[in-house]
Amino acid sequence: MKIPYERRKSLYGYGFISLWLVGTLLWFLIPLAESFCYCFMDNRLLKPSAGGLHKVWLPLANGEFLANFRYAFAADPYYKQYLLSVLKDTAVTTPMILIFSLFIAVILNQKFKGRGFVRAVFFLPVIIATGPVYHIISGNIAATGADSGAQFSTLFETDMVGKLLEFLGIMNISESVSDAVNTVTTNIFGLIWSSGIQILIFLAALQNIPPSAKEAAAMEGATGWEFFWKITLPYVSPMILANFIYTVIDAFTKTDNAVMARVLEKQQLDMDYGYAAAMSWSYFAIVMILVGIITVILNRFIFYEVE
Amino acid sequence: MRHSSAKPTEKQSAAGTVRTAEQIGSGMTRKEAMRIRMQHMQKSEIAYLRRKRLLEICWPVFRFLILFGLAFVILTPLLFMISYGFRDSADMTDPTIIWIPRHPTLRIMKQTIKAMGLTQRRNNPLLNTLFLNIGCSVCQVITCAVTGYGFARFRFKGRNLLFGIVILMILVPTQIISIPLYMTFRNFLFGHVNLIDNPLVMYLPAMTANGIRAGLMIFIFRQFFRGLPKELEDAAYLDGCGPLRTFVRVMVPNAGSSFLTVFLFSIVWYWNDYYVAGSFFSNKKTISMVLKNLDAVLNLAIFNSATAQISAREKIVWLEAGCLISITPMLLLYICLQKHFTEGIERSGLVG
Repeated sequence: MKIPYERRKSLYGYGFISLWLVGTLLWFLIPLAESFCYCFMDNRLLKPSAGGLHKVWLPLANGEFLANFRYAFAADPYYKQYLLSVLKDTAVTTPMILIFSLFIAVILNQKFKGRGFVRAVFFLPVIIATGPVYHIISGNIAATGADSGAQFSTLFETDMVGKLLEFLGIMNISESVSDAVNTVTTNIFGLIWSSGIQILIFLAALQNIPPSAKEAAAMEGATGWEFFWKITLPYVSPMILANFIYTVIDAFTKTDNAVMARVLEKQQLDMDYGYAAAMSWSYFAIVMILVGIITVILNRFIFYEVE
Repeated sequence: MRHSSAKPTEKQSAAGTVRTAEQIGSGMTRKEAMRIRMQHMQKSEIAYLRRKRLLEICWPVFRFLILFGLAFVILTPLLFMISYGFRDSADMTDPTIIWIPRHPTLRIMKQTIKAMGLTQRRNNPLLNTLFLNIGCSVCQVITCAVTGYGFARFRFKGRNLLFGIVILMILVPTQIISIPLYMTFRNFLFGHVNLIDNPLVMYLPAMTANGIRAGLMIFIFRQFFRGLPKELEDAAYLDGCGPLRTFVRVMVPNAGSSFLTVFLFSIVWYWNDYYVAGSFFSNKKTISMVLKNLDAVLNLAIFNSATAQISAREKIVWLEAGCLISITPMLLLYICLQKHFTEGIERSGLVG
C-alpha cells in the first residue's frame, strides 16, 4: 500500500504530537473539565471520601444552579474585595513593568563598558523570582529596614513624589491617583524583580531591528529621542503586546496574589471545592475577558512588518 | 565630520566654491576648523549639534547612575542573605550593625542545613529535588521538543485547534486543575493505585510534555523549529531520511542552543516549584517545599527547646541562611552558564 508523501507527512505530524496529546488529555483537559463541573456541584456534598469526591449536581441536590457563584460574589466576605484590589494593582503595575522593562532593554542594548555584568545582574531575578525565596527576603528586608527600593528612591527623588501627591491632593484629583503613584514608588523592588523575562523579550526584539532602519535614521539625522519613537517603538510593538499578556498572566497566576491565596485557603483549609472552583473560574473568566479586550485595542496600534 | 556630511546645508550647496576645512589643510587646530565650518551653518543647525553633543556627554553619566541604582536594588537581597546568613544571632540585637557582621560564624549555616534535613540519610530534600529536577527536566525538554517539532513542520487536520490547547496550557493557572489532578493521582487506574508521594506524579506529566510550564516550552520549540529553513528537510528527504530520522539527525543538532536554554529554564522552574510538589507530596520533601515552610521547620528543629528565647528579629538570621542555602545551586548554575540564559532566549526564536 502506498500512501502519498503529503498524507504520510500529516500522519507523522500526529505521531509527533501524540505523546503530548495523551498527556494533555489525562493531565490537563480532563482535570480542567472536571474542575469546571465542580462549579455546578453541591459544595456541601463535594468532599473527599473513600472512592474520590462525592459529586452531586446542584439541581439534583435541590440547590440553585449558580449557588457556588452566588456564594463567591455575595456571601464570601473577602472574594470580591480581593478581586477588585488585584485587578487594580495589576492595572497599575502592568504598564509600569512594561515601560520600565522597555527602558532597561533599550539601555542594555547600547554599547558600554561592563554591559555583560549589568545584563547578568538584571536577569538574576529570572532565576530567583519564581521561587519562595523572594517572599521570605522581601519580608525580612522590610523588617530590618534595609529596603534598597526605598533607599534608591530617596537617592533620586528628594521627596518629589511626596510633593507631587500633595499637589494632586490640593487639586483634588482623588486619592486613587496618589494611591497608584504610591504603590509604584514603594514597590520599586517588586517592580524590578518581576520584569526579568520582559526585559529579555524586549532585548531580543530590539536586536531584531534591521540595521538598514538604523542606518537610514542616522542618515536623516534623527536624534536618539526621535529614533526611539519612530523606529524602536514600532518595531518592538508586537512584543509589547506579548509582554503585556505575559505580565498579566504572571501576576494573575502567582500563588501569593490575594485572590489565589483566598482560593487556596478555601481549597486546602476548608475543603470547599465547589466554592473554590467557582471563585477561580470566575476570576479566570474576568481576567481573560479583560486581556481579550485590551489585546484587541492594542492590536490596532501595532506595527507589523509586511514581508 | 559626520555631521557635515550627514546634513548638507543649503548654503554649502549654493556656494560650491567655499572650501571645506579638510581642503584647507591640516595646518589648523581642530577648534579652528570647527569654527570655520560653523560659519556656514544655520543657527538651528548649530543648536542641533550642540544639543546632540550635550546629550552624548550627559547620557552615559545618567545611564551609569540609573544602572548603578537599579543593580543595587537587585543585588540587595543577595548581599542581604550573605550578610545575615553568616552572622551570629546576637548581632541582630545590636543596632550598630547593619551590613558588616561583628561575629561572623558558620554556626547558623550548619544549624539550618541540619534543620532543613539536608544531612539526613533517608528522604533527603536535596536528593529528592535533584532526582525529580534533572529527570523531569530531561524528559520534559525531549517531549516538548518533539511536540513543538510536530506543530512546526507538519500540516494536519485540527492543528490550529490543538495548538490553541497549547496556548490554553500557558494561560490556565495550575491552581485551577490541581484538585481534580490530585484525585486522578489518588485513584490512579480506576482507584487501584495511589500515586500520591510517588515520584511518578511529577514524572508522568513530564514524560508526556505536560510538566511545569510545558506549554511555554512547546511554544518556544515550535517557534524555533519554524524558523529553520525548509531546504534542510527536503535535503534529508532526498537522502532517504524519514521524518523521525530527519528530526533526530538534522533538526536536533541545529537546535543545540535552544535545547540548552529550555533545559536550564526547566531546571530553574522545577527547582523553584513548591506548588505542584506541595500538592502531590506529603511525606516527600523538596527544597522549595522546605523553604516555603522554613519558619515552621526552624521552629520545630531549633527554637523548640524551652531554653531557646529567640525573638522574631533574631530568627531572620536562620531564615536568610535557609534562603542562601536553597538558591546557591541555582546561583552557581547561573554564574557558570550566564551567557546561555541571557542570549539563548534571543536565539531560541521566542521573538519573531
